[in-house]
Amino acid sequence: MAVKAFSSDWAKQFKDEVNKSSVYKSAGKGWKWTVGLVVEAEPDKNFPESRGVVMDLFDGEARDITVGPASDAQKCDFVITAPYTRWKQVAMKELDATKGMLQGKLKLKGDLPTIVRYTKASQEMTECTTRVAVEWPDER
Amino acid sequence: MHDPGRGRMARRKVETTAKESALVEYASQEPSAFAEMLGGLIEANVRANPNKRKDFDALVARVGIWVTDIDEGVTLVFDAGRLTVYNGLEPRRTITIRAEAETVMSLSNLKIGPLGLPVYYDEVGRSVALKLLRRKLQIDGLVPNIATLNRVTRIFSVQ
Repeated sequence: MAVKAFSSDWAKQFKDEVNKSSVYKSAGKGWKWTVGLVVEAEPDKNFPESRGVVMDLFDGEARDITVGPASDAQKCDFVITAPYTRWKQVAMKELDATKGMLQGKLKLKGDLPTIVRYTKASQEMTECTTRVAVEWPDER
Repeated sequence: MHDPGRGRMARRKVETTAKESALVEYASQEPSAFAEMLGGLIEANVRANPNKRKDFDALVARVGIWVTDIDEGVTLVFDAGRLTVYNGLEPRRTITIRAEAETVMSLSNLKIGPLGLPVYYDEVGRSVALKLLRRKLQIDGLVPNIATLNRVTRIFSVQ
């Protein structure tokens, strides 16, 4: 069943997908930092307020993934920021996250060598988002 | 009241900051996201690792990197301890690397072996070597500049 985009139910399913992934388990070995995704508001897309996804990832496991205010996500060790539409494109495989970062469509804050070292893990995280069936607010 | 001791300390700190910030410069006032990412990556690597710093201080070369699937590129002008990053490809390049985004990221994940040479026999190395053979990774100027390429790879590598 589809869940509302960037809701608590979505976060729970996303976490389950990450923890089901053997690719992530292996590629994320040694990772010990929090990651925040800031989803910027786009009122004209029926996404009126920015939200933050806080991911507590540790050694190939998602210990917790929660959705709250954007300010929570901005406190994480690594922060990736983009408007709602961009994140939707990532989740629908219309935009590759690596390319998006190189093009500045997704803005990354954090230690670059660390995130580059875990490129495979971050690609698999993106794959996990695509496995969650989502009800998009601009399609209602 | 002005505290002379504190003033000296502050001045030393400013000098250090100024010296550190001079490692990487951007030719454009509006560097592309790719230029900032590569410049930031190299700067972080060089600051964190004395061996990479040695390579950086010795390297004089103009290295172009073109990402074929986003149609964007940069030119990295290394000048013995300074790097200037240009948006796009500038003329008179020593080496030009052309590859898709994923391959460019793989290059920075190449491990460096005990002799300072990139490792091409592990998973990442094999995939890079295969792409080179299949021309999905093209390096213009490779043959006469292998030592330069190895040095660039060492500076670029996050492993």
